[in-house]
Amino acid sequence: MKYDILIVGGGAAGMAAAIKSSERGASVLLAERDLELGGVLKQCIHNGFGLTYFHEDISGTEYADRFRRAIADKSIEIMTEANVVSICENRTAVIATKSGIFEVSFDFCIMATGCREKSIGSELIGGTRPAGVYTAGEAQKMINLNHYDLGDNFVILGSGNVGQVMARRLKILGKNVAAMIEQNNSLGGMTKNRQDCIEAYNIPVRLNSTVDMIYGEGHVTAVRVKHLDSGDTEIIKCDALITALGLIPDRVLAEELEINGNYLDWLYFCGNCESVHDIVDAVTIQAERLASEICDLTEDKLNA
Amino acid sequence: MHTSEKCDITVIGAGLLGCFVARSLREYNLSVRVLEAREDVCTGISKANTAIVYTGIDNKPGSLKSELCVRANEGFDSLCTDLGVPFSRCGSLMAVFGPKGEKALIKKYNQGVENGVRGIKLLSAEETHSMEPGLSSEVTASLFVPGTGTVNPWLLCIAAYENASDNGAEFLFNNRVIQMERVNGGFRLVTEDNEFFSRAVVNCAGLFADTVRELTEKPLVRIFRTGADYFVLDKKAEGGVSHIIFHEPEIGKKGLTLVPTTEGNILVGPSDRAASEYPDEADVNGLVQLEKQCKEVVPKLEINKKIRCFAGSRPNTVLVKPEGRRYIKTDNKIPDFSIFEEAGLFSLIGIKTPGLTCAHELSRYLSAHIADYLCCSEINPEFNPVRKPIIKTSELTLEEWKKLVQCNKAYGQIICTCGKITEGEIVGAIRRGAATVNGVKRRVGSGMGCCQGSRCTQRIAEIIARELSIEVNEVTMDGRNSYIMRGGVSCEV
Ligand SMILES: Cc1cc2nc3c(=O)[nH]c(=O)nc-3n(C[C@H](O)[C@H](O)[C@H](O)COP(=O)(O)OP(=O)(O)OC[C@H]3O[C@@H](n4cnc5c(N)ncnc54)[C@H](O)[C@@H]3O)c2cc1C
Ligand SMILES: Cc1cc2nc3c(=O)[nH]c(=O)nc-3n(C[C@H](O)[C@H](O)[C@H](O)COP(=O)(O)OP(=O)(O)OC[C@H]3O[C@@H](n4cnc5c(N)ncnc54)[C@H](O)[C@@H]3O)c2cc1C
Repeated sequence: MKYDILIVGGGAAGMAAAIKSSERGASVLLAERDLELGGVLKQCIHNGFGLTYFHEDISGTEYADRFRRAIADKSIEIMTEANVVSICENRTAVIATKSGIFEVSFDFCIMATGCREKSIGSELIGGTRPAGVYTAGEAQKMINLNHYDLGDNFVILGSGNVGQVMARRLKILGKNVAAMIEQNNSLGGMTKNRQDCIEAYNIPVRLNSTVDMIYGEGHVTAVRVKHLDSGDTEIIKCDALITALGLIPDRVLAEELEINGNYLDWLYFCGNCESVHDIVDAVTIQAERLASEICDLTEDKLNA
Repeated sequence: MHTSEKCDITVIGAGLLGCFVARSLREYNLSVRVLEAREDVCTGISKANTAIVYTGIDNKPGSLKSELCVRANEGFDSLCTDLGVPFSRCGSLMAVFGPKGEKALIKKYNQGVENGVRGIKLLSAEETHSMEPGLSSEVTASLFVPGTGTVNPWLLCIAAYENASDNGAEFLFNNRVIQMERVNGGFRLVTEDNEFFSRAVVNCAGLFADTVRELTEKPLVRIFRTGADYFVLDKKAEGGVSHIIFHEPEIGKKGLTLVPTTEGNILVGPSDRAASEYPDEADVNGLVQLEKQCKEVVPKLEINKKIRCFAGSRPNTVLVKPEGRRYIKTDNKIPDFSIFEEAGLFSLIGIKTPGLTCAHELSRYLSAHIADYLCCSEINPEFNPVRKPIIKTSELTLEEWKKLVQCNKAYGQIICTCGKITEGEIVGAIRRGAATVNGVKRRVGSGMGCCQGSRCTQRIAEIIARELSIEVNEVTMDGRNSYIMRGGVSCEV
């Protein structure tokens, strides 16, 4: 099969790019590896989305739903549970699904693959590597989407937006958040989250600190918090450790197509895979603009 | 208590040694049962080591170690072909920084020649740098050993287990031997719920081999652990090496080792330090020390691209003697591989480096001896040394992959996105004995990419639960109480 545009990833960015391209008359294939479209929005059950784009304060799930409804009306080919495993220089892609391995070709490719979370393995931490250590996004998905119970007493390492939103979520669920630990001398994330999630819920915070040891044989039982200036240590008991160490644009698929930091002229990035965005509205707007620019190029080509 | 039928030999422990011993014993017409305390193979020392296949240049000429190691190295390609395990004979460079190191190089070289190790060569600084441009400019010379290689120790152990099992060895997991006694010229072994009888026992209990021996024998040798820390770098880390590097420091004893693994990562370690509370507990100071050494040996290596820190334990052995009612350490350490043989009880105690390299040869050596002891040197004509590996979709051609998905759609569903590992491969691992998320990881390499399982652990746990018909909250990361999620809903939504 041949498409004008292949869009990899059906989160906020991929959906917006697909709708815009289709409105402009391009033939679009949108491939998403998850069961449903929506990306991280699906697990964001809190409000704070849509203020710019919809002039309303809605939840992430509602934001995703609105785009899912809009996309259903368009003639966009959507593949879910479809993992794009490689993109080749000759403008073809290989997509793995349960119903088969497909090769498709295209004129343009938009990467909307989002970002991944930095894992605890990147830190120099001692201990037994027990279970009960989750990244914030992983925990958010397990709790909000699959309703798993991860523990009663949490420590959160790192203080980005995702970590802060999770701290509040845990408090709402009646869990204890023993501490949020941040290596810098102030919390990360947006002011609004700091106020609504950390201050409003009296989450104990340790600044200039890190975790340098994780205890527990089998499952986590405690962490050792080390103050970076004084070197003082403190042991905090917990039965789950959540890490919010930062997000990295997920460009693994495009890596082989990179030549000295430049990509081929038919390959574009949008949303969190272009750069990490705090606000989804900005993701949507950027993705729509990119799709329009690509459609301009296609039209130019047709007219030439 | 459940009593099982008597067999010829009980093997205690399913690490590298237990699995290979069971396999070698099945080359004879002997019935073999393996009792393992944990839920899977490869959870002890065999799980955390340096993964090097040594040549024998490090061992004293004339020792059992050097004899077995030289032979093991020469046969490693064919062993790995039989067992379907990737092996990379990448060669090694022992790099030194001055006169003390150079002296050690010459000693090693001579020892290697004496042991009959082929192709070894002393290199100048210039020759060294042209082979490994990433090494510090202060390296003054090196010893090149082309035969050194690296193997994935998990897969080697798992392959030996599968092949031993295919050849009729019976493996029973979750059976920790807690009692052992001599009865009617044989042994009675007791685990929590079962009792077993056999004519002979091979004790391959790793860090606990001394304790197991003392279930029937007087104390003679004890294990004293020391710790070894490691870290692994992402495949994308720059400034790596293509040979195994052994660094011989001018000051201090313990140098750095770097291994380009068969999976394409760089493994850094081991440190050498006092034991931690738990055998697999990493020590921050040990890790910091490794980082420091990296800066000296391979200054351009991107050590900030770590994806995992871990630790192993060395089973150091010391002979003990009675003093009053206790036993105390003597000054006698045991430098060579030694097999403690006591009327049908064969104990492998403190088999350290190169135990991974020699697991197969040491097992063959021991099995021949045991067959002799039991007066049954008759060869098992049905023994088949070949084990089929788990299909790896990422190594198939597109056409092969397409065909496979047509037969089984689970091979089209990617679960571990970093490693592009499909549900079909994960199910394959579970059917071959993986009972935990890490058991799956050791078989197919899931959760070993840059996200370290944060995107696939939940789904793998769910697949294990489905395949084993258990609840997902009963699935563990690595046995014992390492549950991943607790039951039910996390309260109201
Ligand atoms: C906890 C949290 C709280 C937030 N809070 C707010 C807030 O209050 N207000 C706000 O405006 N914004 C918020 N955001 C930010 C906003 O949600 C994100 O910036 C936005 O949703 C990112 O969209 P995306 O499409 O770029 O990425 P994603 O949503 O990550 O989508 C990427 C998609 O690509 C798919 N994919 C990746 N690789 C492949 C492949 N190879 N093949 C097929 N599919 C693939 C993934 O499955 C995923 O569905 C929050 C984000 C998080 C995580
Ligand atoms: C730090 C380190 C690095 C190394 N690096 C290398 C290297 O690079 N190259 C090399 O060739 N060799 C190396 N080695 C050596 C090699 O790893 C070991 O020789 C080998 O793994 C030992 O395996 P094992 O089967 O004896 O022990 P284990 O793997 O520990 O197996 C013992 C098993 O016995 C079970 N068990 C214990 N007690 C009982 C009981 N009572 N009942 C039932 N089961 C029981 C345990 O659960 C375990 O599964 C290294 C060793 C160490 C410590």
